[in-house]
Amino acid sequence: MGKGGVGKTTVSVLLGMEASRRKKKTLLVELGDSDAIGKIFASGSLPEEPSLLSECLWGARINPKAELEAYTRAHINSNLVANRIIESRLFDYLFAATPGLKEVMSLGRIWRWEQAVDKASLPLFDLIIVDSPATGHGLSLLRLPGHLVQMIRVGPLVSQINELQNLLQNPQKTSLALVTLPQELPVNETIELYDTAESLLKISVRIVFINQVWPALYTSDDIKSVNHLSDSLRSDSSNPSWTALLDAARRHIDKRAHQDKYIAQIASAIPSKIVGVPFSFTNDLILDDINRMTFEVIPSSSSP
Amino acid sequence: MLTHIGKAEGPEILICCGSGGVGKTTLSAAIGLYGALSGLKTLVLTIDPARRLADSLGLKDFNAEAQQVPLDQLPDIGGCTLGSLHAMMLDAKRTFDQLIECYASGVLRKKIFENRYYQYLSNHMAGSHEYMAMEKLFEVYSQSRYDLIVLDTPPTRRALDFLDAPQRLLNLLGHSFFWKLFKPYFKAGRWSVRLLHLIASPILRVVGKIIGLQALTDLTSFLQLWDDMLFEGFNQRASAVKKLLSGHPTLFLAVATPQRQPLNEAMFLYEKLCENRMPFGGFIINRVHGTQLQPSFAGHYKKSEFHYFDTKISRDLMTKMHQSYLYHERMARSDARSIAEFRNKAGEGIDVVEILSAEEEVSDLRDLYQISRQLMRFSGSG
Repeated sequence: MGKGGVGKTTVSVLLGMEASRRKKKTLLVELGDSDAIGKIFASGSLPEEPSLLSECLWGARINPKAELEAYTRAHINSNLVANRIIESRLFDYLFAATPGLKEVMSLGRIWRWEQAVDKASLPLFDLIIVDSPATGHGLSLLRLPGHLVQMIRVGPLVSQINELQNLLQNPQKTSLALVTLPQELPVNETIELYDTAESLLKISVRIVFINQVWPALYTSDDIKSVNHLSDSLRSDSSNPSWTALLDAARRHIDKRAHQDKYIAQIASAIPSKIVGVPFSFTNDLILDDINRMTFEVIPSSSSP
Repeated sequence: MLTHIGKAEGPEILICCGSGGVGKTTLSAAIGLYGALSGLKTLVLTIDPARRLADSLGLKDFNAEAQQVPLDQLPDIGGCTLGSLHAMMLDAKRTFDQLIECYASGVLRKKIFENRYYQYLSNHMAGSHEYMAMEKLFEVYSQSRYDLIVLDTPPTRRALDFLDAPQRLLNLLGHSFFWKLFKPYFKAGRWSVRLLHLIASPILRVVGKIIGLQALTDLTSFLQLWDDMLFEGFNQRASAVKKLLSGHPTLFLAVATPQRQPLNEAMFLYEKLCENRMPFGGFIINRVHGTQLQPSFAGHYKKSEFHYFDTKISRDLMTKMHQSYLYHERMARSDARSIAEFRNKAGEGIDVVEILSAEEEVSDLRDLYQISRQLMRFSGSG
């Protein structure tokens, strides 16, 4: 989970690839009308039934409306009545107007995948990774089971919602991976999200990914030399080659120092594992880039 | 794109759209500053600025009133005639409440405010923030207190959600068909009796089974409060907003960064605007990495030691510095490629303005001023 544009999809794919390499049967899930994962695997948008992307890795897209249709059919004995309801304008209306219905239907789908077993009664998937919508919407996804129970109180949905709640709050089964950038707004939002998840939603946050971290290339001695050189350069602005080289180094060092402030802020506020994902210096991330990425584990500075 | 600002036929409303995380809020503020530097009394209606940006705009508290931004700490602004810059934070829930206050009186108003469905609708319902942003824009524009209003839109995943949201939300409340269905059950009687009717109706019984009875009664009791007068008021207002947005005082700007997804979103938005014959001002591509000088000794760092004046530099450090240079070049080339492709797609005659990536996060007026200057340079040539 995380703010828009921080790289949730990239991290989801990264996690998926890593898990499948470890021979875990992994399902990557995309919500709504997003097709970002499909694009990375160059397969257009993902189908609604899990399809194999690579060894041990499946992908699927959840269409909440189709879920509600399936749900309605399952709970109404007469096919005729179910069809009439699904085709009515009332159905569209209620789907759009009822708070949380979309979210519960999406979570319900995930829950069924979690429960699914193959012929030998082995779980179909060992790990399900959900590429969640941007923070505001993502939070409502997790918050809604609670809200809905209060609003609905009785009916078949309630027992389903309670089961969802149990699944979400069981740290053995569900944990959140937060994704952020080393910048002011995303970092603040991530710390808020962590607090909400842990204290209000009671869903455990296992790991925080800080995306687009510039590699820590320079030692403190290097930095001293570069500073010294920059000073010398000021009296020799006629040398374009040195200017170019030192500019690049300066920019890199400043950028990382700036990012380090925010990385430290996260490390002191969040006790979960914190991992830096390296900046790839390109706009068109392809699978190969993602495969080659190496993480940088950030030492925790917060007291347990 | 911004050439006409400050002229008689120039835009009075600029709406910055774009997917989340592209820097809409910062750019809106910079465009607002540009307006002020063009001699206009300018208002920036903003959503959720970063703390430090909010501070420098003088938005210290979540006060929904407009506040004037002190511009005296600006660097030398050259021959600009300085107008004034004002900033206001959007509060969707409060705007919705004000709208209700405007169309519903006394008991009805109180009942609506207390209704659980209304509380959800006004604060959490998908589209309510977008709707209220439009509403606030309309209200401020109607008071004609400013020469130029810059609207920073709420973060949506898809840039064009912003356009659809108000209508979608209003359609939900456009209850003519809903009333036909429910009126028989609500016309008379106390709540308990109505509830009984509700359960007695086969179709509603089934619906209640799906979404739960409580949710259904919350919804229907809200719709019951939402009487014809109230609905008419909202509807008329929405058409007025729509007219304003399609009219000549408005210009939409699509904001993106050089990454694939934001660029696609910006292009979608442009197409959608064309389709709806809404006025489009151009694209702004934010955080572009420019190419740098190339070091001539690039590629041959075989010497074990380098000297620059009195400083010895190890080969190791030379390689690292060169690596930094290569990183930057890779990024700049990637940006240039994406933007060239994008310009190609956008076609001739469409403004595409590039804003260079700042070294640090944009946080104070000086940084905003730098962006305004880039906007100025582009609009001068276009």
